[in-house]
Amino acid sequence: MKQLRVALVMLVIGGLLTTVAFVMAFTTAEVQRFGTVTLSERIDTAFPLQEVTADGYRYERPWFSQKIFYFHVPVAEASFLVFGVAAFFAIRFLMTKRKEYDTKSRIAMETAIVFVTLTMITGILWTRAAWGVWWEWEPRLTTYFIMTLMMIGYFVLRNSIEDEERRAVYASVFGIIAFINAPISFFITRLIPSNHPVVFQSGFATSNLVPFILGQIGMLLVGYAIYSIRMNEERLEERVEIMKEALEG
Amino acid sequence: MAETTARRPGRGLSWRQFRAILRKDIVMELRTKEMITSMGIYALLTMVVYQIALSQAGTAFDPRTIAAGLLWLAFVFTSMLGLNRSLVHEKDQGCLEALLLSPVDRPVIFFAKAIGNMIFLLIVQVLTIPVFAFLFLQGSEYGGQLWMIPVALLGGAVGIAGVGTLLATMSVNTKGKDFVLAVLFIPLMYPLLLACVSATTAAVLGGDGHVQQFWSGMGLIAAYDAIMVLAAYALYEFVLGA
Amino acid sequence: MSEPTAPENALAVEVRGLTRTFGARKALDKVSFDLPQGAFLSIFGPNGAGKTTLVKVLTTLTAPSKGSARIFGLDVVEDAVELRERIGLISHNPLLYPDLSAEENLRFFAEMYGVDDAADRVRELLTAVELDHRRLDFVRTFSRGMLQRLSIARSLLHRPDVLFLDEPYSGLDPHAVEIFDSLMAQIRSEHTFVMISHDLAKGLELCTHALILARGKVVLSAPKAEIDEDEFTATYRATVGTGVS
Repeated sequence: MKQLRVALVMLVIGGLLTTVAFVMAFTTAEVQRFGTVTLSERIDTAFPLQEVTADGYRYERPWFSQKIFYFHVPVAEASFLVFGVAAFFAIRFLMTKRKEYDTKSRIAMETAIVFVTLTMITGILWTRAAWGVWWEWEPRLTTYFIMTLMMIGYFVLRNSIEDEERRAVYASVFGIIAFINAPISFFITRLIPSNHPVVFQSGFATSNLVPFILGQIGMLLVGYAIYSIRMNEERLEERVEIMKEALEG
Repeated sequence: MAETTARRPGRGLSWRQFRAILRKDIVMELRTKEMITSMGIYALLTMVVYQIALSQAGTAFDPRTIAAGLLWLAFVFTSMLGLNRSLVHEKDQGCLEALLLSPVDRPVIFFAKAIGNMIFLLIVQVLTIPVFAFLFLQGSEYGGQLWMIPVALLGGAVGIAGVGTLLATMSVNTKGKDFVLAVLFIPLMYPLLLACVSATTAAVLGGDGHVQQFWSGMGLIAAYDAIMVLAAYALYEFVLGA
Repeated sequence: MSEPTAPENALAVEVRGLTRTFGARKALDKVSFDLPQGAFLSIFGPNGAGKTTLVKVLTTLTAPSKGSARIFGLDVVEDAVELRERIGLISHNPLLYPDLSAEENLRFFAEMYGVDDAADRVRELLTAVELDHRRLDFVRTFSRGMLQRLSIARSLLHRPDVLFLDEPYSGLDPHAVEIFDSLMAQIRSEHTFVMISHDLAKGLELCTHALILARGKVVLSAPKAEIDEDEFTATYRATVGTGVS
């Protein structure tokens, strides 16, 4: 129960920090302006069209998209970190064959899928705000898309195996190989020349560190809290199982 | 322990076992032609679907720009069919258990099965390409060097067979065999296919810098193959033990 | 470490505190027993009692969580590869490739075991199990009884010392049982046997030692000479009632 209390406190602090970061992003954080950009055609975007020249349409460089940066990047980093934790416990499980590590790995994967989904949503909003399109097969977004699919695959695999131990082994094996695959996906998407036009180059402020760090810490706390709460629930369930077993015997 | 150590299988036995498994897979395939026919027919059906997809593309459209993508798409789907069958053979009568009972090092099973799968995939690739070219690329010019195509095919087949063998060994023991394989296989194949399509497109289109694009694609394929096949090899023993 | 095959104690199987757990579930719970060389052990128990797990541990296919098991002094974990050369398995599943002929199947497994005189050995065994006339036929055309005979031949290829039988009688018709029994009688003297059985009468008839497992624990383990058959049957009936769901 103590652990649950800690988790709840962390959830509250994490939520507060994230909110503070969000508020700061819109109030104290300095807005970086990047000048203008000229496009060959007119696009549907929230950014002010400055003038139409012979070269094309001159837009002010996006600045609004910076706001999502304080939320999107922490979520994205947290999701990858939690994915890493899941892979770490998967390795521990294969080494020891102790069920608790498989449970930890699965719960971490559940947490990761929440964060990856949030990353995808904020990412799509960002692409819309920054690049004027809803979806762009850009390396980061693509990698997260593939990661989402792999995590769905992880749970599909789990659900299609009856034997508890085999399920744990297979899931761990897939979790590890999926984690190895994620950065490879990122690098290959990045290095393969693409025919898609990059609408805007993204540029980030470096001076707005405070809200960013607050957001990052907040998000990690929230992640840990979700993980702990689910772990707690899982432990209770296990105890019920053991009691049931004991009663039968 | 003198007596027992003398019986420990050495390099020679592993090689003998590797050849035995590979030969058995090839003999069985030559006899039933199950994998090659199902994969081949599936590839043909894919071609029909491509024709539908391209039917409204118009005459200005150059099919060469997407030829590599279409080909690799056909390969990835047909390979899943083959991988599934290859492992179902082992599982059906409990033969995999008999294999595991023999004094064989687990990696020998992995490499023998993976190389068998790779050979069947290469055969299907070699049969599919002329059909594809005949159906879709008539009158188009081939831009690059001819040797590039087999190099790219081989690079892709290594990754597909290596990772695919691991995943298929798991998926045959699940409830929805083929579906589970697809769900696990395609996301893991994503980076490899992307690199394969890039390298193959460079070979098909030619033009400025195509040699460079081809080699950078091949470099990525090699990196993927090295890392992922090594990971699959390392994890295979756990899958067999479960 | 002790000498592996010291003839004076001549233990074929030595199991000490064998436990296999996963989470709260105990498939095997501190199983211990000894089996002298040349003995025939029948393992009884309800479904889910851990019989299959026990055989899987003894045949090196699964590792125990705790405790140890040795066969001719070879540890099932540490000396797994050497051990595999000395054990064979006849299962209710034929463990044969249906699309290969009888001879090809045996030749394949002979290669896997690194049998030196593979061709002669295969012919010899095919004759022994009276399948020589069908040696070129695909295994998929074989009857259940023929499959089981070929399965015996497969398990004997590498001249194992211990044979594991996993419900070998399931699905056999009376005639096939007869042939199977006569084959078993022929090889009985040269091997140590460990058999999982559902058939109490058959299991008791063949065995020299009996073991009842329930919920992963040994309920009874004794040489047949010390067993009172009625009492044994009563114990067996009682344990089958406590089967794990």
